[in-house]
Amino acid sequence: MTAQRQEFDVIDREAAEWVDRMNRPLHDAEVAAEFDRWIMGDPRHVESYARHQALWQSGSLRSALEVAEAAPDDFGTFEDEAVPNWAGQAWKQFAGFAAVALCLVVVLSMGARTLVSESSYAAARGTSREVVLPDGSKVRMSGGTRMDVRITPWSREVALQNGEAFFDVAHEKVRTFSVNAGDSRVTVLGTAFDIDLVDSQTRVVRVYRGLVSVDAGAGRQWRLPAGNGIEVGGGRVRSLGDVRGDHPGWIDGWFDADDTSVQQLVQRINRGSDLPVVLADPGLGQLLVTGRFQTSDPEMVLEALAAIHDLQWRKEKARYVLSH
Amino acid sequence: MRSTLLRYLRARGARPDVADDVAQETLARLIALSQTQQIGSLFALAFRIADNLMIDTRRREMRQETQHSDDVDDEWESDDPSLDRILDSRRALDVLSLCLRRMPPLRREVLIRRRLNHESCRAIGEDLSMSAKAVEKHITRGLLDLRAALDRAGVDFAEFA
Repeated sequence: MTAQRQEFDVIDREAAEWVDRMNRPLHDAEVAAEFDRWIMGDPRHVESYARHQALWQSGSLRSALEVAEAAPDDFGTFEDEAVPNWAGQAWKQFAGFAAVALCLVVVLSMGARTLVSESSYAAARGTSREVVLPDGSKVRMSGGTRMDVRITPWSREVALQNGEAFFDVAHEKVRTFSVNAGDSRVTVLGTAFDIDLVDSQTRVVRVYRGLVSVDAGAGRQWRLPAGNGIEVGGGRVRSLGDVRGDHPGWIDGWFDADDTSVQQLVQRINRGSDLPVVLADPGLGQLLVTGRFQTSDPEMVLEALAAIHDLQWRKEKARYVLSH
Repeated sequence: MRSTLLRYLRARGARPDVADDVAQETLARLIALSQTQQIGSLFALAFRIADNLMIDTRRREMRQETQHSDDVDDEWESDDPSLDRILDSRRALDVLSLCLRRMPPLRREVLIRRRLNHESCRAIGEDLSMSAKAVEKHITRGLLDLRAALDRAGVDFAEFA
């Protein structure tokens, strides 16, 4: 994790250096070639470059610098104060916590243990399942998904062990709802979102209502509003800005692939299919596809994959095989 | 090239449909340019074309929004995204100001001169009696600090969003 963090730091530093260099009027051929090599070297490079360039060119930075230039005195003496706009918010939150604390005192004296609920849920492979949690939140679990749920008077926590689940969280003002998915953690008050544990490293979060906060560890945090998604894994981050509708397509048996690996698509099929799809060559899993696939009909998807990447598929007794 | 451009545009907050169009148009212009001119950095040029196209797109959309809001009825239609945008840019400004205030005064000075007054690194260095290399370091470090401050504050910052 620390190594990953350091890697990110190096990329960010290089990106910031390139932003400065490329914003100068003239570059010689050697520098130009070096920049192109750097951009092509790693997909994270272009993302970090874009983020820093966006900041450098932004109106917000220009305004902030104009303020700083106009009022140098104010800027000279720095006092460690909270940004005023947030003070009100912080107070409200504190009042909320105080209210909970008060409830807690009452609850504890009544015996809190009875109010803590812990349960585990699993959906068998091939079928999805909807559960209603004690707080009223609804969770639609895809086939083969397992999760543990712990609800206390002061917290709502889910540990997603594997698979994919769509959370429609009952809104509460104070008690947050968190989902732990390995190294990533999603925290909300009341929203609708989907988490997919693609493999041991990759998590995909899609937001359908409200705002969620995603914490991928190593100091990386994002706030995603409805209509957005993010894919975190293997040291890289990809934003998915095309989340549409009010629930994920897999609930209706569809999957929207957007430069998605065949591996991921096959995994989707296998969650809902009686016969699993296997790849004759694991390398096939790296191929990318884009489009809308009806994962509830494996044969149709295989047909489409075969056509897109010039592959073959066959049905055996207990499985489908996709090969060159 | 196309996938790198799309990645660039998406990381800058372009909507997927817009990113597709802009990437397409950028490639077309890039090809046209490459036939008549010697190009230094293909990617630097591509990003610049894409930036300009994005700004054009944004202006066009804003004009359309203003035209629409002449209708009284339209006021009732969800203004939420633009409200969010305003709140986000308001917060971005707060976060950036605070970060600038916490920065060593020299670094702040360098950033103001470079970004606002477009002075060259060498000119800044001569004025503030340091090497051009040291000026570059201040800019890089300042940019990283500002970006990290935005990330820490959880400001959803994407200029084209």
